[in-house]
Amino acid sequence: MSEPPPANTLRNNDGSELHPAVRPLAQNALHCGADRRSVLRVLSWLGVSLVSARAVLGVAARAVASNAPRQGGTLRFVCSVQQMTDPAATTWVEASNLFRNSVEFLTYVDPDNITHPYLAQSWHPSADLKTWDFQLRAGIRWSNGDPFTVADVAFNIKRWIAPESKSPNRTTFAAITAIEPLDELRFRLHLSRPICSLPEHLYAATCPILHRHFEAQGANWPRNPVGTGPFRLTDYHVSRIAVFKRRRDYWGQPAWLDEIRYLDLGSEIATHVAALAAGQVDLLYRLTISELDLVKRFPSMQLLSEPSAQTLVMRMQQDQKPYDDVRVRKAVVLSADREQMLRLAYRDHGVLGENHHVAPSQPDYFRLPPVRRDVAQARRLLAEAGYPNGIDLTLALGNTQGRYEQDTAQILQQNCAEAGIRLSLQVLPPAQYWTIWDKVPFGMTYWAHRPLGIMVLELAYRSGSVWNESHFSNQRFDAALDKALGILDPHERSAAMGDAERILQEEAVMVQPYFPRKFTAAAARVRGFRADPQDYYRMDKVWLA
Amino acid sequence: MTRRYAWLASLARPTAAIGALLVGGWLAIALLSRVLAPYDPLHSMVPLLTPGSRGPAGNIFWLGTDSLGRDVLSRLIYGARTVIVVATVATLTAYAVGIVTGLLAGYFRGRVDAVLSFCANVILSFPVLVLYIVIIVALGASAANVVLAVTFGSAPAIFRIVRAITIDLRSRDFIAAAITQGESTWRILLVEILPNSSGALIVDFCLRLGYSAITMGVLGFLGLGLPPPTPDWGGMVNEGRTMAFAFPHLVLFPCMALSSLVLGLSLLADGLRQPPARVRRVG
Amino acid sequence: MVLTMLAVSLLVFAVLELNVDDVAVKVLGQFSTADQRQAWLRENGYTAPFLFRYLHWLWAFITGHWGTSTYYREDVLTLLAPRLAASGLLAGTALLVIVPVGLVMGVIAGVREGSVVDRLVSVFAIVTTSIPEFASAVFLTALFVFWLGWLPGVSTMADGFHLRELVLPVGVLTLYSAGYIARMTRSSMATVMQSPYIRTARLKGNSLMRVIVRHALRNALITPVTVIMLQIPWLLSGVIVVEVFFAYQGFGTLLYQAALNTDIYLIEACTMVSVVVVVLTQVASDLLYAWLNPRMSFKAAERPAGAK
Repeated sequence: MSEPPPANTLRNNDGSELHPAVRPLAQNALHCGADRRSVLRVLSWLGVSLVSARAVLGVAARAVASNAPRQGGTLRFVCSVQQMTDPAATTWVEASNLFRNSVEFLTYVDPDNITHPYLAQSWHPSADLKTWDFQLRAGIRWSNGDPFTVADVAFNIKRWIAPESKSPNRTTFAAITAIEPLDELRFRLHLSRPICSLPEHLYAATCPILHRHFEAQGANWPRNPVGTGPFRLTDYHVSRIAVFKRRRDYWGQPAWLDEIRYLDLGSEIATHVAALAAGQVDLLYRLTISELDLVKRFPSMQLLSEPSAQTLVMRMQQDQKPYDDVRVRKAVVLSADREQMLRLAYRDHGVLGENHHVAPSQPDYFRLPPVRRDVAQARRLLAEAGYPNGIDLTLALGNTQGRYEQDTAQILQQNCAEAGIRLSLQVLPPAQYWTIWDKVPFGMTYWAHRPLGIMVLELAYRSGSVWNESHFSNQRFDAALDKALGILDPHERSAAMGDAERILQEEAVMVQPYFPRKFTAAAARVRGFRADPQDYYRMDKVWLA
Repeated sequence: MTRRYAWLASLARPTAAIGALLVGGWLAIALLSRVLAPYDPLHSMVPLLTPGSRGPAGNIFWLGTDSLGRDVLSRLIYGARTVIVVATVATLTAYAVGIVTGLLAGYFRGRVDAVLSFCANVILSFPVLVLYIVIIVALGASAANVVLAVTFGSAPAIFRIVRAITIDLRSRDFIAAAITQGESTWRILLVEILPNSSGALIVDFCLRLGYSAITMGVLGFLGLGLPPPTPDWGGMVNEGRTMAFAFPHLVLFPCMALSSLVLGLSLLADGLRQPPARVRRVG
Repeated sequence: MVLTMLAVSLLVFAVLELNVDDVAVKVLGQFSTADQRQAWLRENGYTAPFLFRYLHWLWAFITGHWGTSTYYREDVLTLLAPRLAASGLLAGTALLVIVPVGLVMGVIAGVREGSVVDRLVSVFAIVTTSIPEFASAVFLTALFVFWLGWLPGVSTMADGFHLRELVLPVGVLTLYSAGYIARMTRSSMATVMQSPYIRTARLKGNSLMRVIVRHALRNALITPVTVIMLQIPWLLSGVIVVEVFFAYQGFGTLLYQAALNTDIYLIEACTMVSVVVVVLTQVASDLLYAWLNPRMSFKAAERPAGAK
């Protein structure tokens, strides 16, 4: 290279040729009104350098704190410490936050859903998005001294997609047919079908890169906590405490904190807040709306909040009486007052949902005409369906995320009563609800944040999908999904998504009232910590004042 | 006045009078709930108003509102109805079970007594709350299951009392006379023995009603009580607990209500108790 | 006693493990497939008939193999031991306060029967036994945590052991029990103080204090001591509410969480442990009573108002 490229030209992280879709996308963003953040996100998947992309699109990075970070200190983090042996098979996000300190991922997705290089320094997809070349960083060493090479990555990926794999990665990466090492630090992935967002998937909680001898050494990570990350595990006691200490020989910039102690204080969040107020801990894992007032009473506490696409869906099973009649479903949906639910159950800290499970914050969201409440119409539909004197229904729920679920359901109860629907609530303990969540005819289920709306629709509403709790099966819908999956441009994709959303609304699959924000709280002295819509926390940039 | 109804006279004693007043008061509130409650206890209005504040239309909320905007005073009034009805039904059911089994065990002795006493001992070896938790978790939370749990928990103790009384009475002359006269067993049990134990049982009934009310409160507090949105004092404490620091009215009023009801029942029970044979003071 | 324990264990096992498919779902999680569940059921001996499974479980229980918690995924015994110790600490500290306070109040009230002190103690006892623990926890927290700010509102011991965090839980337990013991002691004391033996001692010129300590207490304390022993099972119940309220990491919160998570093996172990404690205290109480009162006078059954 003779001359550095002009400052506002797009370029790849590895200096290779840009993917053919990059320029049209950038054009869309600059001239056709496509959302710049969404385009930035797609560009990051395609291996474009974020610095150049931000410069060209005019999207500034989030401002960093002006104070110089201070080295040292012990951070006490309230988090449940669960039993964990194999990070790739973990089902709890909390456990992933623990091992995230020690083992790392090929890519990193920040809370704004932008994908950054991590263990992989750069990547380059082929034009048809079926062949991906990755370049790993040089000079990384495991905590036991071994060098980090392609062999480690190959071991992990083969493990994920093996037929006997117990990890959800097997489904996520089912399209990977082969991993081909190119040299010590480069490898190539061959896919059976194009996946444009592959780099983003590589940051899922179950995708850390473990040492190549993980299986040989007993496949129990806490017993033998080898990792490339900025911390090393020193103590691990289930349901009590886990301790991580800083590694001085970390390949990147060493962490600011000396030590992180994860304390398991049970599931009552109010007690976590009280412990924070008393100075016994520094950081909480999660807050719900009930504890918000409590936190506000302590001005010394920081309240951290992020918009999220997590939500509650009150879904009706299409193949169960009386929900098999679309008029009954429509009556329920029409009588719901989503604004009231958001206002009372979550104090307006969120965004209204439109009963199709795609959030306005997701890039593939398509704006449909607003949903209106219509109690009179609900009554008419019920009478038509053969219930002139109203109908008795039961909603099951488990308060798996907090009491606001029950509060939302009680508002629905009041709303339905106006239309002649006598709704009774069946409140189960959280663990019990999870045993019946996909069996109960009318239930309220919590769905965690996913970066793309299409991911949720695939998981929850495609015919025959494992997590299709509403037994929704609609060919037009499936076709709309297929169409959307094939489109790279987020703007064009959202138009295809619009069809899918409309079908979900017409079929009155669910009452999905709002997307609540994510909250957590920290002591005043905690700096550099950001809440994350998926609860994926990196601690290496966190410091204590 | 026969000794059988002497307990009525003891209502005049001060403790019993206060107790009767409290219990009567709550009973009246429960019966007149529709008239007394200013708002619909299930209707959401303005959330988290402090006691004495007014809503946007100028209407006053004497005890404030809860997190879903429902009037605390109305929920307290309807909650009285819930507690009194469910606790009474539960206690009566426990009594039915306890009395029948106690009479049978005490009258027939032998194998019947051995089996029934053994069952009672088995149930009594569970710490009460552990028993309730296991039952509710196994069967689910509903009014019927709360009644079942309380029955299970209380019947053995009632069984023991009735059994002891029956054993004692059975040996008396008038029972022997009834048997020789050819009276049927059931008639003996229900007409001769049971009324003679009424004094002790009335006292126990008041106490046990109080315990049942407390049990409902505790189950509601643990989130294992009646399903929402039923106004239930224990459930109100459970819901308001996380915000109690900022909004203490959410928990203080239900606790005071429950405590005053149980206090009334305890005072009443205490007042109705026959004074023990007192040894006169000398010097 | 052994028969009772066996019956209890059968009852517990039946309630929780009668339906094998439920067990499989609870252990393997909601995403398990029917095949996985069948395989697990076969591997873990759930295809055997109920009685066989029960005996197997009973033997495992007696030999200390209490299974693995489905929620914490750790050996039940390792989970239970520190929690039991923590609850033992809480209950023990509470007893250390309840017993002296209750006895002293009861003795004073019994000695001065009919006086103002006696009335006060009686009123105190009735009032405190009418307030459920969670309500007194609410009142005490409102007073000492919210208003005065003297004490912490939770007792998680996150930072290591602090005596301050034990104050409120012990306070709540004390409020409920001390009054009851005071009443028992009072009536027992009052009866003893009327006995001819004591009157003789007084007439002989001994001071009141001497009479109480040397003569009255020994007889008066028989009933209260056994009552105290029987408070221990009650404490086990009360401890659950207090621990949940103050988030004290003890046996009570473990059982509560296990119940909410339908963590079968943990619930079974916790229930059996509670029952063992209750039965042992009942036996100990009987033994203590017999030892304290060698001439065991069998109390006649209360004679109710009976017409002849």
